[in-house]
Amino acid sequence: MPAILVEGISKSFAGRPAVEAVSFSVEAGEVFGLLGPNGAGKTTTLRMLAGLFAPDAGRAVVAGCGIEPRRDAGPALRRKVGLLTEHPGFYDRLDAGENLIHFGRLYGLGRAAARERAGRLLDRFLLAPHAHKPFAALSRGMKQKLAIARALLHEPDVIFLDEPTVGLDPEATREVRAVVSELRREGRTIVLCTHDLDEVERLCSRAAFIATRLLAVHPVAASEARRARIDLEAPCAAAGPALRRFGTVREEGLRLQVELADGASIADLVSALVGAGARVAAALPVRDPLEDAYLMLLADARSRGLLS
Amino acid sequence: MKGALLIVEKEMLELRRSPALLLSMLSLPAAMVAVPVGLVAWLDHKAPPQAVYYLQELYGISAPHGLIGVLVGAVAKNWLPLFLILPIFLPILLAAQSIGGERERRTLEPLLATPVSTLEIIVGKSLAAVVPSLLITWIAAALFCGGINLLAAGRLAAPLPDGPWLFGCLVLAPLLALFGNAMAVVVSSKVLDARAAQNLAAMTVMPLLGLVVVQIAGRISLGPRFYASFALAAAAADVALIALAVRWFDREALLTRWR
Repeated sequence: MPAILVEGISKSFAGRPAVEAVSFSVEAGEVFGLLGPNGAGKTTTLRMLAGLFAPDAGRAVVAGCGIEPRRDAGPALRRKVGLLTEHPGFYDRLDAGENLIHFGRLYGLGRAAARERAGRLLDRFLLAPHAHKPFAALSRGMKQKLAIARALLHEPDVIFLDEPTVGLDPEATREVRAVVSELRREGRTIVLCTHDLDEVERLCSRAAFIATRLLAVHPVAASEARRARIDLEAPCAAAGPALRRFGTVREEGLRLQVELADGASIADLVSALVGAGARVAAALPVRDPLEDAYLMLLADARSRGLLS
Repeated sequence: MKGALLIVEKEMLELRRSPALLLSMLSLPAAMVAVPVGLVAWLDHKAPPQAVYYLQELYGISAPHGLIGVLVGAVAKNWLPLFLILPIFLPILLAAQSIGGERERRTLEPLLATPVSTLEIIVGKSLAAVVPSLLITWIAAALFCGGINLLAAGRLAAPLPDGPWLFGCLVLAPLLALFGNAMAVVVSSKVLDARAAQNLAAMTVMPLLGLVVVQIAGRISLGPRFYASFALAAAAADVALIALAVRWFDREALLTRWR
């Protein structure tokens, strides 16, 4: 059973469709990207899956909790998911620690448990020295890390991150991405909603392209091994033929581009080249350009009137 | 309702740390106490006899205890409806600020993402607005009555609070506080700006102010029958407004409108 199973969910606001018949599934421990331009329905999808409001049609199962059309998914679902909202959203007159404790208690933790977990998360995200600063006095990166800490307070089964790095400076972006990478290593199930392709490539194993409707689900990590670039130190006539059994080869002087066949790896290429007497200067995986796929899908969505 | 109590606790903590809001909450009750007490003290020493006769005639006050009896009678009669603005106005100030503040600080979505129900949020916000407002109203009423009684020391047949004041504080004030709060919740759920919500909701005190002006002019006399009817009307309005507030304070509407 996947951690998240979405079957044809739709949502309209004032008669205007925001999300139409979107389906996908996310395995436990997977970091799944939701990609799409502004207004594509990513946040609406996330809000439905986090139990903030119900879909008009379709159904979903998140962390074992059912989501039905026009019915509040209820506190049971909201207890099992953590949501990082697009804006951190904390109370300015409470300090960082008080804010976390307050939200921890709203998630059903007792006062002592909320305090203990807030302290642990503040330590983990290097925010402990700032625990007694008013929220307003924190930097944007700190605010965002505090918001991620809030999403983890109640130890949810599934974490939804809505645009975690939008508006952050490069340093804060790096800090937040490091936190998400850490969560990925811990095997957390994460849905990352973004329009930043680089972020998806760095963090996700698969990504769904959304433009009101689901356009495609694209494997991100798997695509890394589908192409390879080999640079030779010197010309070698046997190099190209030696690689042909591993896929399609294109020779450009000292550079060889290989579309890898199923099961072939870069190590296989290097070993075949060495066997053929070639001197290899570099062998690099070339990722399938997510950007190309994204732009192609967007152009297609526009031509079908799904995006303005 | 544990979520509601947690919201109350947080609101109280925020209120304690908001000197500007506290000041604006306390300035009106301070004026409501200081002005009539000061007026009675000044008139007790300075008012010419003809002014006393005029007051007696205008408000139909029988005052066997002389000048102070007339002054206290006139002030107690006229000041009660004005005083009842407090329990309407203070919850409006707090509730509109609290609900509008959630939008301005963008805390509403994280709040709605917790297991706390919408009803608990409304109850929590309402208690945090109604309870301090009522306490301030009662403290102000106690100071007003205490101040007047002190000035009149031994010269009044029956010290304040009299029947209408007791009814006003114990029955009308809670009903009006609920009314002011529910009005702020209803307006805040439709109006995006906290100040605009405050201003719009505060307009509800205008009819009461109008009555005060007409009574001070001596055109009407607000007596027990008026206050009893007023209490019934306020209770009916409370029920209707609370039902509307629960209906309009809808998760989806708030999230999609409050962006």
